[in-house]
Amino acid sequence: MRKSLLMTFLLLTLILGACGGASLEGEEVTITGALIGEDQEGFRANFESFTEETGIVVTYQGSDNFEQEIQIQMESGDTPDFALWPQPGAVVDAAQRGMLTSLEDLEIDIDAYKTNFSSYLVGLGTVDGSIYGGANAANLKSIVWYQPAEFEARGYAVPETWDAMIALADQIVADGMNPFCFGMYSNGASGWLATDWMEDIMLRTGNGTTSYDQWVTNELKFEDPIVKNAASLLSQIMHTENYVVGGTDAIVSTYFGNAQDPMFSKDANGNPGCFMHRQASFIPSFWPEAAQAGVGVETTVFPFPVIDESLPKAALGAGDMWGAFNDRDATKAVAEYMLSAEFHAAAAAMPNNARLSAHTGFDTSLYSKDINRILGTIIADALAADAFRFDASDLMPPEVGAGSFWKEMMNLAVEGPGYIDTALANIDTSWP
Amino acid sequence: MTRNNQKWYDKPTTKLILITIAITWMFPLFGFLLSSFRPGESIKRTSWWDAIYTGTIWSELSFDNYVEVFRAENLDRSFYNSLAVTIPSTIIPITIAAFAAYAFAFMEFKGKDILFLFVVGSMIIPLQMSLIPLVQLFKDGIEIAGIPIIPALDLNGTFVATWFAHTGFGLPLATFLLRDFMMGLPKSVIESAKIDGASHFTTFFKLVLPLSVAGIAAFGTFQFLWVYNDFLVANVFLGIYKPENLVVTSHMSQIVVGRFGEAWHLRTSGAVISIIVPLAVFFGLQRFFIRGLIGGAVKG
Amino acid sequence: MKQTQEKKLFTFGISTLALVIFPLAWFLSQAILFRELTEQVTRNVLVLIAIPLGSTLVFLLFLGMDRLIKLVPRDSREVLEARMFVGPSIFMIFLFLFYPAMRTIYLSFKDRYSNDFIGLENYKWAFTDAEMITTIRNQIVWLISVVLLTVFIGLIVAWLTDRLNKGESFFKSIVFMPMAISAVGATAIFKFIYEYRPPPLTQIGIINGIRVSRGEECYNNRIIDGVLEGYDDASCENAVGWLQQRDLSNLPIADSLESGGWFSNLLINLPINTMLLMIIMVWMYTGFAAVVFSAGIKAIPGEIMEAGQIDGASELRIFRSIVIPYIKSTVIVVSTYMVVTVLKAFDIIYVSTRGDLETNLLAVKMLDEFSKYRNFGRSSVVAVLIFVCVLPVIVGTALRERENSRS
Repeated sequence: MRKSLLMTFLLLTLILGACGGASLEGEEVTITGALIGEDQEGFRANFESFTEETGIVVTYQGSDNFEQEIQIQMESGDTPDFALWPQPGAVVDAAQRGMLTSLEDLEIDIDAYKTNFSSYLVGLGTVDGSIYGGANAANLKSIVWYQPAEFEARGYAVPETWDAMIALADQIVADGMNPFCFGMYSNGASGWLATDWMEDIMLRTGNGTTSYDQWVTNELKFEDPIVKNAASLLSQIMHTENYVVGGTDAIVSTYFGNAQDPMFSKDANGNPGCFMHRQASFIPSFWPEAAQAGVGVETTVFPFPVIDESLPKAALGAGDMWGAFNDRDATKAVAEYMLSAEFHAAAAAMPNNARLSAHTGFDTSLYSKDINRILGTIIADALAADAFRFDASDLMPPEVGAGSFWKEMMNLAVEGPGYIDTALANIDTSWP
Repeated sequence: MTRNNQKWYDKPTTKLILITIAITWMFPLFGFLLSSFRPGESIKRTSWWDAIYTGTIWSELSFDNYVEVFRAENLDRSFYNSLAVTIPSTIIPITIAAFAAYAFAFMEFKGKDILFLFVVGSMIIPLQMSLIPLVQLFKDGIEIAGIPIIPALDLNGTFVATWFAHTGFGLPLATFLLRDFMMGLPKSVIESAKIDGASHFTTFFKLVLPLSVAGIAAFGTFQFLWVYNDFLVANVFLGIYKPENLVVTSHMSQIVVGRFGEAWHLRTSGAVISIIVPLAVFFGLQRFFIRGLIGGAVKG
Repeated sequence: MKQTQEKKLFTFGISTLALVIFPLAWFLSQAILFRELTEQVTRNVLVLIAIPLGSTLVFLLFLGMDRLIKLVPRDSREVLEARMFVGPSIFMIFLFLFYPAMRTIYLSFKDRYSNDFIGLENYKWAFTDAEMITTIRNQIVWLISVVLLTVFIGLIVAWLTDRLNKGESFFKSIVFMPMAISAVGATAIFKFIYEYRPPPLTQIGIINGIRVSRGEECYNNRIIDGVLEGYDDASCENAVGWLQQRDLSNLPIADSLESGGWFSNLLINLPINTMLLMIIMVWMYTGFAAVVFSAGIKAIPGEIMEAGQIDGASELRIFRSIVIPYIKSTVIVVSTYMVVTVLKAFDIIYVSTRGDLETNLLAVKMLDEFSKYRNFGRSSVVAVLIFVCVLPVIVGTALRERENSRS
């Protein structure tokens, strides 16, 4: 009885499958990634029109624990169709282990892909000449958040150079307040904010993008004077007394998502807890609700200050990159769609969206907020001019980029400027 | 066993120390539970003790946070999934362990000591050590010199994978505890059954099983709580990228940790919801639980 | 002569049947049946079928074995029956714990993707890498402190509740209750207590709340008479990120310790974050210890206690010289269980600090090496280390079991 039931089921599914024919109607495609919360909603929304058109049902499930789960899934063979990694390095790693299908096999027009997303981004997902990573949304990191009204009220000018920023900071300290918000606690990734600072400084000192690229591959050692100089500039921010609200204790203890809260909170004299917060374009989604409403107006950004004026301007950013685990027809269709200029449209229109398309042809008028239009244009321009650089710690081997680099930055914050040499030497030792 | 009821040492200091300990133990829960009923903005603006002190807290309390958490997609489905994982994962190891415990307690056979040592020894193998080999086993099976011992079953992502995993991980403790419990049963009863000519199978079902209910319930509660509260095994073997496979803990961990660094109103209410079922089970079966443990761990 | 050989062969065949073939048949049939069901029926039906059927299929295994036993001549039945009773248990433990453990040991000698043998390279790393050394140190601190504290407080609670005329189970329930809460939940509860927010924000974690409110003009942003009163930096104490403190050097107490001798030097290096995380585990498991001890104390024959009472021995003396020796084996059982639990401790660290600032434990390190750094060889070595740590426990348990069965 049971057996015949099962058989009927089997036959039914077979017949139904056969009737479907060449159409992809009803095919399911699964994607996992680290995007959760509102980013997840936006990413899902991107597929609504696609599903209507093609009938392919795309499900995305984000997880806080994504990086571990995808490793286990790759071992178990029970993989989704796509994984959306926050680091290109992970895509390369998976490709080297033979887990991924190349974009060539997915029948993607490689030339168009390179034109649309820049050869630099495409290169990050390339292994032995084959392209495995699909670029997706990006964020911009070379920005400092501030409140123009607070600056104006006290006659502070937006600093364009590092020296001007330090002068302003000294001024604020002299006025009895704290210039910077700085919090780099992040569960399992504590320290990344300091590595971001280092990277921004690296892009603006030494030989700019050239020395930056050498640094990423360890051709330029951490103990090189250029890197040492960057570390001491960072230490100047972290360790000068009264620069950071709450001092080094706040730096290591404050969850990065809360780090800017002092800016929105006034003390008894009506002064904000801090005036400047260097953090990526996604940070507004962590702000208190009241502050989120004023993003781009009450609280907006100025570019990370210039340090060496002889260098061309560069932008630091990060973003997601997907890899595909098979070459089913539905997978191909989804891959092609994710690389199109239309892909990010639905998410961009959502009121709280903070993710920016890395497609240089993306229609920026689709963004729901002015600030995203500005930031999105900066990314697109930088990509076109080969001045965009990806977060170095995401490109370094995980032992360094997600290990010793982060850890030693935490130690540096606690120990003070005397620890710079030890920190950099330790990172070099850990390079595999 | 029974001592006279009049306790000569029941003193106020004893009570005082105990009350202090009890308050210390409940204290962490108190502020947390209270905050689960407060609006998110209030939690951040005023500490809960200040809110009590100024009296503003009473007007703030509401079930809104719980409603918000429950509105999260398909929480009921996650709950059914949790039950589908937990109930077989509790019953299967108990069944297997009860038989083994009976044999270890009442039967004589060659290699008994070594086999029992094997069971007890495996109690200490950390389950993390097994995860990766097991996902590979469920996918590819085992081959020794080209001969398939276990075929490629492709079990990852199914309930049955979690049942097997929890059974394997729970068996050593279950066998150990139940054997200890059964050894505490009066030997004369079992021997009289033997004289009557009853087979071991009959003795097990008719005599030992009913007598061991307390021990079985104790381990059952223990295993139930463990499996229900687990999120590592469920995430690994069920795969959370299929939303229809989420269990309550992994669903809650998405709400509780998530990207809501400061969303204490969701964290607190989410955590409270996730501990309601285990608490209910615990208080419901507490009597068994504690009685069973007595049988298991106390023999001199 | 020939007959005994035949008998041997027969016993061997039956043993194989009991220990391997039967459990394997059950394992495969359950696996295949439910895998097919997962594919064939809808979700709700699956859940509905899975619970009763998944739970009861295993009975068929034992019923079938019982039928088979009936066919065997009576004199060899006992041996066969015993094998069949223990067979499934041994089979499952072998397949799910023993085999994976062996495989992990094997992988620990291979490189990051398990391709080539690299000898003891991974082991060398485990004992020279600075972070590994800290992790091992933490694991030892956890083992000693958590086991001692749970046992100690558990004994106190058990001994004191035993003296009560009423309310005994009430107190025990309260202390025991955290056992029902998942480690993830418990950690969330304690993170709320340790919570740190940068000034000038209101401190909502009670420890920091008390800290910043100490002093006459310190208000922790409290509303007083409708006016928001902040706290004054200069005279009030600062909030501290408790889970980020590796030692006491950031606390005011450090100043008075700095000049001291070796003892203050030792004190100043107390890893506060690790200690605060250990408290979570003590909170969770003390109740377990208390309940088991309490049962042990109840089993002490009344005459012995009364004898002590008549002798006029002090309570502490009764506790030390009657209670403790009597429940010694219970103490060992609980300690063993706690040692194993601490070595497996994972969730608390994973959801609180994820091992940052010298709080890591071996189980977390193992998973990080696997998923974050993608190094299977190193990950396996850490797993082997955990295993080695518990080896003394197996030996201890084994020896005790032997004594028990002798007596």
